[in-house]
Amino acid sequence: MFFHIVLERNMQLHPRHFGRDLREKLVSKLMKDVEGTCSGRHGFVVAITGIENVGKGLIRDGTGFVTFPVKYQCVVFRPFKGEILEAVVTMVNKMGFFAEAGPVQIFVSNHVSFRLLKFHLLLIPDDMEFQSGDMPNYTTSDGSVKIQKDSEVRLKIIGTRVDATEIFCIGTIKDDFLGVISDPGTTS
Amino acid sequence: MSAAGEEEENAADLKIGDEFLKAKCLMNCEVSLILERKYDQLQQIVFEKSLQYVKRFSRYKNPDAVRQVRELLSGYQLAEFELCVLGNLCPETVEEAIAMVPSIKSRGRVHDDEAIEKMLNDMSLIKKFE
Repeated sequence: MFFHIVLERNMQLHPRHFGRDLREKLVSKLMKDVEGTCSGRHGFVVAITGIENVGKGLIRDGTGFVTFPVKYQCVVFRPFKGEILEAVVTMVNKMGFFAEAGPVQIFVSNHVSFRLLKFHLLLIPDDMEFQSGDMPNYTTSDGSVKIQKDSEVRLKIIGTRVDATEIFCIGTIKDDFLGVISDPGTTS
Repeated sequence: MSAAGEEEENAADLKIGDEFLKAKCLMNCEVSLILERKYDQLQQIVFEKSLQYVKRFSRYKNPDAVRQVRELLSGYQLAEFELCVLGNLCPETVEEAIAMVPSIKSRGRVHDDEAIEKMLNDMSLIKKFE
C-alpha cells in the first residue's frame, strides 16, 4: 500500500554550500540520498513531496560539517502481510511465478517445499498446471484461466522478507476472489 | 526492526503498526496524480516502477472522481488502510468486499451488508460517470 508520511533525517552539509541557496542544496541532497531507497520499517521511498521543517544546524566537532535535522513528506510503498493487491506477472516457471506491484517483487510458489521460507504449501490452485514452452504459463484443465507473463493477478501477501535494500514478498492466489484479473491481449 | 513486531503484522486484522495506521494512506489513483506532477524530475527505478504500476491499476483516472471516491468512503467509518484497499480493488459484491477487507466486519462497527452494498453501488456510479 502507498502512504503519505513524514520522515526525519539528519543531513550533513559541507560548509561550501552555506549561503543563500543552503536550503535548496539541502533538499536536492535529500532527494538524491533518500528517493529510491528501501527500509524494512518504512518500505520504498517513492518520491519526496515536500519539506515540513529544517531544524537548527549543529556544527560537528573537528570537521566543520553541519548536521541539519530535516523533516520531509514523502510517498512510500510498504507491503504488509495479509494485504491484498493487484500485480503484474513478470516471470513464470515450474516453481511458481513472480509478480510485481510497483517496486516490490512477489513470488507465488507452486513448489511443495520452499524450505528457505518454511512454506510447504501450494499457493497456486491445484487445478492449474504448469505448461512449458515459449510462453510458460499455468492453465486450468479446461483452459479457461491462464497465468502468463504480463497477466494481471489479484493476490494476497502471506509473508515478507526484508534485507538491507529490498523487501521481498511471498503471495498466494489460492483464496476467494483472488487470481487472474485479465489476460494479456484481452481488453483491459 | 523487531522480529516480534513482524510476526504480529497482519493487514487483514488491520495490524499494520501504529505509525502506518495513523498515517495517510493513498489509493493508486491518488498516487498517480502525485507522481505525474513530479514526472519531469530526476528518475530512478523505484519511481518509474511505482508510476507505471499506479497508472495501470488506477480505477479512477479523473481527478474529480478520485476526490469523490475519497469523500464517499470517508463517510463510512473506515480506517485509512481499509478505505484505500476498497478504492484500489473496487469489489463488486458485499461478499467480495468483506473478503478483501475482513476487518470491515470486526471491531463492532456498524457495517451491515446493506450499508456496504450502498457504498459499493455509489463507488461504481462514480466510476460510470467519471
